[in-house]
Amino acid sequence: MTILQTRGVTKNYRIGNREIKVLDSISLEVAQGEFLVVKGESGSGKSTLLTILSGLDRPDEGRVFIEDLDITDLNEDALAPLRNATFGFVFQSFHLVPSLNALENVMFPAELKGDAGARAKAEALLDRVGLSERMSNFPHQLSGGEKQRCAICRALINDPRIIFADEPTGNLDSVNGAAILQLLLELQRERGTTLLLVTHSPEIAQSADRVVTLKDGRIVTGQRHG
Amino acid sequence: MVNLRFIGRQISGAKRQCTVFVLSVALSMITLVSLGSFRESVESSLLRDAQSLHAADIIVHAHAAIPAALQAEIASLAGRGEIKSARFWEFYSVVQKVKGDASLLCNLKVVEPGYPFYGKVLLASGRPFQEVLTQGSLIVDQTVLDRLRIALGDALKVGNATLTVRDVLLQEPDRPVNFFALGPRMFVAAADQGSLGLIGHGSRVDHVTLIKVRDPEKLDKTAARLRAASNESRLRVETYKNAGSRVKRFFDNLLFFLNLSGIFTLLLSGFGIQSTLFALLKEQERTIAVMKALGARSRFIIGHFLGVTLILGFTGTLAGLFGSFALQRFLPTLFSGLIPAQVTLKVSAPAVAQGMLIGLLVVLLFTALPLYRLKEVKPRAIFGKEETGTLWNRSTWVIAGAGTLFFLTMVLIRLRDLKTGLYFMLALVLLVLVSYLLAGLTLRLLRGREPKNLQLRQALKGLFRPHNATLSIIVTLSAALAVIFAITLVEKNLDASFIEAFPPGAPNVFLIDIQPGQKDDLARILGPGASYYPIVRGTVSAVNETLIDPEKERRSRGDNLGREFNLTYRGHLLADERIVSGSALFRRDWPDLQVSVLDTVVKMHKMEVGDTITFRVQGIPMTARISSVRTRTSGGLTPFFYFVFPETVLSGAPHTVFGAARVDKDRISALQNRIVSLFPNVSVIDLTETVTVFGRIMARLSAIVRFFTSFSIVAGVLIVVSSVFATRYARIQEAVYFTMLGARRRFVFAVFAAENLLLGVVSGVIALLISQVGSLIICRKALGMSYRPYLVESLLLVLATTLLVVLVGLAVSVPILRQKPVAFLREQADE
Repeated sequence: MTILQTRGVTKNYRIGNREIKVLDSISLEVAQGEFLVVKGESGSGKSTLLTILSGLDRPDEGRVFIEDLDITDLNEDALAPLRNATFGFVFQSFHLVPSLNALENVMFPAELKGDAGARAKAEALLDRVGLSERMSNFPHQLSGGEKQRCAICRALINDPRIIFADEPTGNLDSVNGAAILQLLLELQRERGTTLLLVTHSPEIAQSADRVVTLKDGRIVTGQRHG
Repeated sequence: MVNLRFIGRQISGAKRQCTVFVLSVALSMITLVSLGSFRESVESSLLRDAQSLHAADIIVHAHAAIPAALQAEIASLAGRGEIKSARFWEFYSVVQKVKGDASLLCNLKVVEPGYPFYGKVLLASGRPFQEVLTQGSLIVDQTVLDRLRIALGDALKVGNATLTVRDVLLQEPDRPVNFFALGPRMFVAAADQGSLGLIGHGSRVDHVTLIKVRDPEKLDKTAARLRAASNESRLRVETYKNAGSRVKRFFDNLLFFLNLSGIFTLLLSGFGIQSTLFALLKEQERTIAVMKALGARSRFIIGHFLGVTLILGFTGTLAGLFGSFALQRFLPTLFSGLIPAQVTLKVSAPAVAQGMLIGLLVVLLFTALPLYRLKEVKPRAIFGKEETGTLWNRSTWVIAGAGTLFFLTMVLIRLRDLKTGLYFMLALVLLVLVSYLLAGLTLRLLRGREPKNLQLRQALKGLFRPHNATLSIIVTLSAALAVIFAITLVEKNLDASFIEAFPPGAPNVFLIDIQPGQKDDLARILGPGASYYPIVRGTVSAVNETLIDPEKERRSRGDNLGREFNLTYRGHLLADERIVSGSALFRRDWPDLQVSVLDTVVKMHKMEVGDTITFRVQGIPMTARISSVRTRTSGGLTPFFYFVFPETVLSGAPHTVFGAARVDKDRISALQNRIVSLFPNVSVIDLTETVTVFGRIMARLSAIVRFFTSFSIVAGVLIVVSSVFATRYARIQEAVYFTMLGARRRFVFAVFAAENLLLGVVSGVIALLISQVGSLIICRKALGMSYRPYLVESLLLVLATTLLVVLVGLAVSVPILRQKPVAFLREQADE
């Protein structure tokens, strides 16, 4: 079943009086449970594609569908429930809330949803990733790998249908990076979550079910149509 | 090498912080220039010309006819052409319409030709004063015409005489403002004094002899000679240089207080400047680290940022000057009723120059620390979180010390009073310290709290956001609010004490200058229930045989022993008195002459039961032993006496009688008319009207005080704004993360609102606690009156300030709420 679909997505950026086409008529389908890697050189538009697929940004042309729901023109408040319960995000820079400790960061999306079992779920997740001793530490007290594991737990707490990961190992050393990727894949398979991962690393791409390669804003390989 | 482009980019890249910086400087300039200009305007228009203010070179002032020896000396000097003299008599009397019943308590001034020696009495007709004020004439304040519904040419009964109103008074040189008076001014020619029949023995009349010396060089010598000619302590011989003026004292006190408030505002503005600059430089930390990595020295970097602050400071100065000029249009309305219309309030060049100098020093002082700390930014800050060293190191202490010294110097220069200046600084330090302790304690209690509501929980965590400066915001806000709350509470208590505190049944009509022979007839008119108090005028010449220096006493700020007192005699306590020291009002077992004193006297001069006070009554010395100290149990307008003697001591002395009665309000006017017809020398004072007049003046003064202290609120608001800017990045980050994780906009809004609410409530409650304690101390100890906490009003104040903090915080946070997550995330990825 197709969980995510784009049709003719185009995105331009204006810098000064220059218009730069970052994505050029991208049409893409992602199946439920699929592990898709979006690969490309720096400046190929892969992060922009991820932000548009996840509703964090809007295309200038084209449509984006999440399970037949057209999210292209939804406003921020309408996108909120999707971000909270359907999507999970893992970023290169972790983006943990500095004023919350590890446990609170993980709990937060579940608390937003009104889940009374948020604490228990968060504790279980953190234990699963080996952070049970670090639950009361704040982000500035965690190492890079620990922060990313915490971010992964936060992304998973509401059992999202899709995880969007933008260069999740980009700020980690090779050992930690490999461990994080391993963890992400394990959790993805356990839960049957669809995983969209952006990277420029060919090694990471090797683990994917499918690899989509972008170049100059266009898909050059790996595109799948309905 | 100055890189102007760098300076310009710094300013254009941080418009919000720069705006707050400029506004903080502008606020301090407005405060300094407005107050300085007001002082200049008042002094140049009213007070600088001291000769006009006293209408003479030498002023001889007494409450009775001056002694024969002094009269002879004056006549002798005048005869030799060394001086000119002119007398006037000033007193209250009720004047009455010839036709009809209307009467009015007026402030009469009976003047001899020659008055005034300096300055001019301006009349509505424009004619010369001496030409109009002939025998049989009256010159009156417009209020007399309005209140009695008469016109020029109408006659009025003044005492036993009937005089004709000839002109309207516009300005009097030795009384430029008239809000001290209980009734409107009325000039009478000295030629009519005898026919008035109002100046008798014991009458409450100010006898003033004005003297103009021919040779100004002989001023002091002449004054000394006149003093030597009279040994009376109840008499004052002063020159225009050292004479006290009620008007001058009033404005000196008003300016004194406004200057205190101005210095406080300056301090808060300084903190606004400092916190804004800290925020601006924090955002530039990476830039500075990169510059240092490229070889720029600290000197270069600090120099350029100093350039930024000077440009912003200069812009703020110009904005402040513009604001000061704009404010001048509003000040006449604010001060109307307190300063004469002919006084022009304008921005003065010396005030501008002084304001600019002090403003520059404040900017340099408060930007010293943030700029100095740029030295501590290391190039490795490019690569990660670089925590700078502890804030309280040696450089901080040095700069803090310099700042304290600067403010102390400024306080001393502007207040011109070392003791008060030191007390003020001490009070400020104490205020900040107590705010700091209470704020720290409150935050400690709040940290770790886990409210059930998610927004509130996030808001609480937001207070402890890294670099949030929550503690310093709360300390600054609560200190500023505490001052404003305290002013409000003290004012309310003053209102209650002097205006609203009429105990049921308390007298509302006072009658003064009743001659002893008139008392029985008056008692028949007033009926039972009226009280009568014998009055004998006297002065204090020594306490425990140590002579009192009347000149020194008169220089003290409050009431003092250098003036004349109304002594009385009775054998019982008044209904609102009780004894606080001593076993009884008077001791039967003491053979000495005794006197009971009010506790107010003990505050003027240290004394206790058993000590002796030497009085001069009618020129005769009289030493009495203090038998008791009394206190009043009510602070309302009921009769009270500082010195009470036993009946046997003074009953034989010439005296007048003071009466107090409670009369139905609508009967007061008729009573006044009847009494003035039968007893023209008796003045009837309607207390309710006096209280209304006093209330109006208090309201005007409150408005002025509140206006200038509102600048402190503005400074506090700027501090809130600058703190939001200081944490702008962190707030955007949080807003983006919450949005990304599925929070709706209203959730994020609610979190920010709750955070500001917490800040406002905590600051307001701390301010309230401090102000309640402070106001209690001021009312009980300094003003000697009872204290009410006005809890409802206090809570409303807290509510109002909380609302202000929430609104300001949210207004500044709205752009943050509009930030799109993707833009922020992209920036982070690029880094």
